[in-house]
Amino acid sequence: MIFVAVGTQFPFDRLIENMDQWAADYDEEVIAQIADGEYLPKNINWQRFLDPEQYNNNIKQASVFVSHAGMGNIISARQHNTPIIVMNRQFELGEHRNNHQADGIKWMAELSGVYAAPTQAELYTLLSNTKALQISSSTENKKLDQLVGFLGDYIQTGSIN
Amino acid sequence: MRKKTKILAISSPGGHWIQLNKICNQLEDRFDVVYATPGAQYKSSTQQAKRKVYAITDASADSKLNLIPVTLQLLSILIRERPNTIISTGAAPGVMAVLLCKFLPIKTIWIDSIANVKVLSRSGKMVKKHANLVITQWEELSDEKTIFYRGSVL
Repeated sequence: MIFVAVGTQFPFDRLIENMDQWAADYDEEVIAQIADGEYLPKNINWQRFLDPEQYNNNIKQASVFVSHAGMGNIISARQHNTPIIVMNRQFELGEHRNNHQADGIKWMAELSGVYAAPTQAELYTLLSNTKALQISSSTENKKLDQLVGFLGDYIQTGSIN
Repeated sequence: MRKKTKILAISSPGGHWIQLNKICNQLEDRFDVVYATPGAQYKSSTQQAKRKVYAITDASADSKLNLIPVTLQLLSILIRERPNTIISTGAAPGVMAVLLCKFLPIKTIWIDSIANVKVLSRSGKMVKKHANLVITQWEELSDEKTIFYRGSVL
């Protein structure tokens, strides 16, 4: 199963339409969360919003998670060890209020298990061989431990060093 | 037994909330953490059943009028909970909380979202001069005077 989600803040019809067209040609179950999108898919099982349990369960069950380039979904995908393909919203196409997803997608793709597909062609190429999409278990939490340790000490002592 | 220091953690839904959780899940070992976020949906999650989560109105740069109820709700939560420190990963509700705490004896920590790679977020820029501690998750964006880098959620 492929799970597709676009976040809750804005629709992302370009991604949903791309996935709907893809699903017409392939025999693979696709489930999508489409938010307030105007485009209504014909070939995939869609809902506008999902409750958090269903949402997380879909990420867990999916062989691949296809998403807007949102941090929340990337973090969740890594928690469930599901490879994720991200398409960035483009400011130029009126898909976000600024272009930070275009800046972000470059470093996101350096994370294990995160694949960037800014365009339909790149998305279809990645989907043509989903077995090649791998994620190494993200046990490395050094940066998070560092941040939390620092914050804890700051809260207790008020000192930055 | 000594009472744990209380923290109020505030964020918008989505990626902001997920980053806040990554950080606060671990801070819960050391502190008493209560949360404020828009969307009652988080209450249904079993994982967070034991948590105290205040539902607040959703407000963003696109819904400026909602900043008024959010500010009043935050003030009421601050009075009721009397936290020692607040933490926010953004966006608009966190800005309002930082500004409110300027007038209260409450420490404020702003953690700019990891999604902002090249420049501080718009809300981060708004609180830069007002929060006691401003953290970026990108080393390149820190100046070690007003904006600090000390790790990240990923």
